Amino acid sequence: MTLSIKDLPQEDLFGPGNAGCRGCGAAIAGRQAMKALGPRTIVSIPASCMATLSGSNQRTAWQVPFYHTLFEIAPAVAAGIRAALDAQGIRDVNVVSWAGDAGTADIGFQSLSGAAERNDAIIHVCYDNEMYMNTNGQTGSQTPLYAITSNQRKGKQTCKKDMLAIMLAHGIGYAASASISHPLDLIAKLKKAAARRSFSYVHILTPCYRGWGIPTDQSVAVARKAVECGLWELYEVEDGVRRRTYEPSFIPVAEYLAPQGRFKNLTADKIQEMQDAVNRYYHREEGKA
Amino acid sequence: MIKDLPVVPSAKAGSMAAAPAGAAWREQHPVIGTACNQCLECTLFCPEGALVQTGGNMTVMLSLCNGCGICAVECRLQAIAMVREYTGVSGVFPLREEKV
Ligand SMILES: Cc1ncc(C[n+]2csc(CCOP(=O)(O)OP(=O)(O)O)c2C)c(N)n1
Ligand code: SF4
Repeated sequence: MTLSIKDLPQEDLFGPGNAGCRGCGAAIAGRQAMKALGPRTIVSIPASCMATLSGSNQRTAWQVPFYHTLFEIAPAVAAGIRAALDAQGIRDVNVVSWAGDAGTADIGFQSLSGAAERNDAIIHVCYDNEMYMNTNGQTGSQTPLYAITSNQRKGKQTCKKDMLAIMLAHGIGYAASASISHPLDLIAKLKKAAARRSFSYVHILTPCYRGWGIPTDQSVAVARKAVECGLWELYEVEDGVRRRTYEPSFIPVAEYLAPQGRFKNLTADKIQEMQDAVNRYYHREEGKA
Repeated sequence: MIKDLPVVPSAKAGSMAAAPAGAAWREQHPVIGTACNQCLECTLFCPEGALVQTGGNMTVMLSLCNGCGICAVECRLQAIAMVREYTGVSGVFPLREEKV
């Protein structure tokens, strides 16, 4: 059954009053995700923008329990919460560790890998703004090729690490990519993850206007361009079966890259190089945009 | 016993909505026009959850809106216009030339 907006709960379990920057992609992802996860959810979030914007001391933007953890351990804390729920015989709660790209792929990676390998019954969500934004936008393993960051003014010289492939190598049952530009696809994937009682991984593209050098009103539009040009593929792997959940229209990658300040140094050659890589990946004819 | 653990101080659920930071530095806000067909798509793109359907109509909760402008860009019918303003303790002031 396809999901419709009218079927979603109007109530916001995350969002109202959050202290995110204008147009924050991470906050949008949080709102969309909670439409899928529902009120019986516990969230653990490590040091990141999401932890900062969604609570401080005595105030919170969540309607569900939210634990702000140390940087390296959000999945381990989530696994511990699951164990405590199991010990009490509570079975109807989703436990989610929600981390940025550094909290997932770099600084938080060991505890993520451990939880995946143990097949702890949690959902790990990576909201990916492709930089260490809460400390002013340093390069990380999820920063894409050639993007300018606060500590690499000439742009990154290596490729983005493929986190879905790495997580799938743990033999997990469910992994998916998502984008805030395609909320119903995102919500359907989180609902699938929540229905399972095993480790799931969902990786969401969440643009950040400061890091990416875009106007605040473009966060969703630029995420959509990432999907439509083919650079951000929407897919899921469920019990070993891979399915692309959205067919891109293949707009030129330049339409995604050129408006972003972080790609302002890109030459026509490098844009063509990325276009060729997309064409090869999707087995499209050379020259066809 | 797990159940005997002490109760630690924690924030009241949703308490940030009572004093939202973003609304204080807003410079523009959306006005929803008659072209709106209640598709609700904008409600999923607003970072603050400021767009709600009440009594069959879309409304903007100005106390939450931070003026990012995403809703106006995303509306397929271009039914949302961003209106420049100043906000302050006494409320919302549209810029003079935009007053009708
Ligand atoms: C162990 C440790 N190292 C460094 C920091 C400082 N720190 C806080 S948030 C952050 C970056 C977070 O980046 P990411 O996970 O990508 O989330 P984002 O802020 O981009 O949303 C860093 C380096 C910390 N809090 N703890
Ligand atoms: S301008 Fe931004 S914060 Fe305000 S209602 Fe629109 S999407 Fe929400």
